[in-house]
Amino acid sequence: MPANKKYLTNSNTQRFAKISAGILGGYLVTIALHLALATWLPRPEVLITSTYSGFIMWVVLMILPFLAKNGWKVWGIYILLLFAFALAIYFGKSLNPLSQ
Amino acid sequence: MNNRDYNVLFNLHTVSGIVISVGLFVIFFAGSFSFFRDEIVNWERNEATANSQGMHIDFDEALDSIQKNYNLNGRDIQISKTFDERRVNVSLGASKDTLATEENKAGAYFYLDPLTYKSYSYIKSYTLGEFLYRLHFFAQIYYPVGYYLSGFVALFFLFAIVTGVLVHWDKIVSNFYVFRPWAKLKTLWTDAHTGLGMIGLPFQFVYAVTGAFFMLQILLVAPSVFTIYDGDQAQLYEDLEFTDKPVAFKNNPLESNFSINELVSKTKEKWNGFEVSEVHIFNYGDKNMHVAVEGALGYDNQLTAPGKAIYKISPQLLVFEKDPAKQASYLDQVKNLLYRLHYGDYGGYLLKIASFILGIISCLVIVSGVMIWLVARDKKNMPEKKRKFNNAVVRIYLAICLSMFPVTALAFIAVKIYPNEGQSFIYSFYFISWLLFSTFLFLKKNLRFMTCFCLILGGILAIFIPLLDGFVSGNWVWSILLKPESNLYVVDLLWLLIAITSLFAAYKSAKMNTAKNFL
Repeated sequence: MPANKKYLTNSNTQRFAKISAGILGGYLVTIALHLALATWLPRPEVLITSTYSGFIMWVVLMILPFLAKNGWKVWGIYILLLFAFALAIYFGKSLNPLSQ
Repeated sequence: MNNRDYNVLFNLHTVSGIVISVGLFVIFFAGSFSFFRDEIVNWERNEATANSQGMHIDFDEALDSIQKNYNLNGRDIQISKTFDERRVNVSLGASKDTLATEENKAGAYFYLDPLTYKSYSYIKSYTLGEFLYRLHFFAQIYYPVGYYLSGFVALFFLFAIVTGVLVHWDKIVSNFYVFRPWAKLKTLWTDAHTGLGMIGLPFQFVYAVTGAFFMLQILLVAPSVFTIYDGDQAQLYEDLEFTDKPVAFKNNPLESNFSINELVSKTKEKWNGFEVSEVHIFNYGDKNMHVAVEGALGYDNQLTAPGKAIYKISPQLLVFEKDPAKQASYLDQVKNLLYRLHYGDYGGYLLKIASFILGIISCLVIVSGVMIWLVARDKKNMPEKKRKFNNAVVRIYLAICLSMFPVTALAFIAVKIYPNEGQSFIYSFYFISWLLFSTFLFLKKNLRFMTCFCLILGGILAIFIPLLDGFVSGNWVWSILLKPESNLYVVDLLWLLIAITSLFAAYKSAKMNTAKNFL
């Protein structure tokens, strides 16, 4: 019994949206979150944690778009998250500069 | 779980699984043998090692012998041991003296036998052990394509594991006790897939995560370097304590004498049970010469705490130390645990054998998954063309996967008969016989024949491996078993075990076939 086709995505644009949101969007959100944390928390510890948490989080974010009805909506949420993390990185970097 | 989510996840699991299946099989099969990489290398060369974590060599003699071919002044020199082989790795940096000759401005990398002081290039040192080890991350494919390819296979393997667990979640406990080999073919494959998948789940999860990290770390490093470190990659590696701060070259010859052996034994006296895995000399023969002695306590004492002492030569001072007996920092714990967990080298042969078996079980999970994919689509209501196509796909997949077993056994025989032939011999022997075997099996058009052929041929060849070791190298299994300090018997015993298992499996499956005749 292969998966029942009636539950799967049929439109090509939706399929593209979901796959791209999962692989590319998931990657960007994962990296942005870890970088944002690294600018506010102890840097080496956060970066070394990302060696395992990064790949696990990426895979989870890869699965989520397929459970959603609309792949573009997931892209929207991912982009909002990216903006939030980018702000956190920007302020984190200027408030906690690299100490030499 | 509602029906829609179940079917969506099921489809994701199927698609990701079938796409990576052959690559993942190669990774797990070659990877399982990689647990015994060092034993295989020693077995090929017939060089027994002390079977210890650290280096036990005369560093001063070694440097003298290297000095015969290279002018060492002003260079950074690394002598290290990454594998449990007799030969150690030597890496020479370019001379930092601005007036050095062109010859001295080039670095070098080679292997040094600390008993004979002969040096070997990488290509000449190439072994089947190294070949199988590198095959498990596709290093034979043009660099870095193979590395990234295997990294993405690991990543999508993690994807298949997570979706697989979610699909199976509702029946995860009850189905574990179900095995219906005689009900019908589909349930045989399904029960094998879910049962063995559950047994191997923690193992596979760890290998998927660590494997993805090893091969795809660039995806983590690059964004950190460009956003946080403003392009300064060296700063990142220093932050994570992967590299030492560079030591300035003074361009002033060193006047006092020095002995590396003395520094090594000084370090060993300081920390009881310290095993030295690397000696790093900065600015050889310069006034500002430093020597770093690195290593760890035995893994049975301390799993994740490396130790390190850096000495300045003139005047002799201890400028830095990191006590291995102290509680490891979080940074060290993560860094070392990722490697220890993946290499499985901290628990002796029991752990290696268990890891080997779990690796082969993972191969079975992959094959049974491919079989489910085929059987589920092999229905009367499917168009004939589609069914033929599916069948051909599975035949290609299984021909490539299963032929690895006899081909690997044959390669062990080949390197025993023609040892020290180097890289090109092993490459051409392995890849050409792999191509021939898989083409032959694909053309036979019979999955049952394919399985039996590989099990029986692989099993018979496997028996010859320990026999040949006796004839060629004089290492009969019983005689080397009397010398437990040598680890040469490990490969022979491993192949005996494999031979018995595969012939038993072939016998059982033939008996079942005549009784039920259901393929």
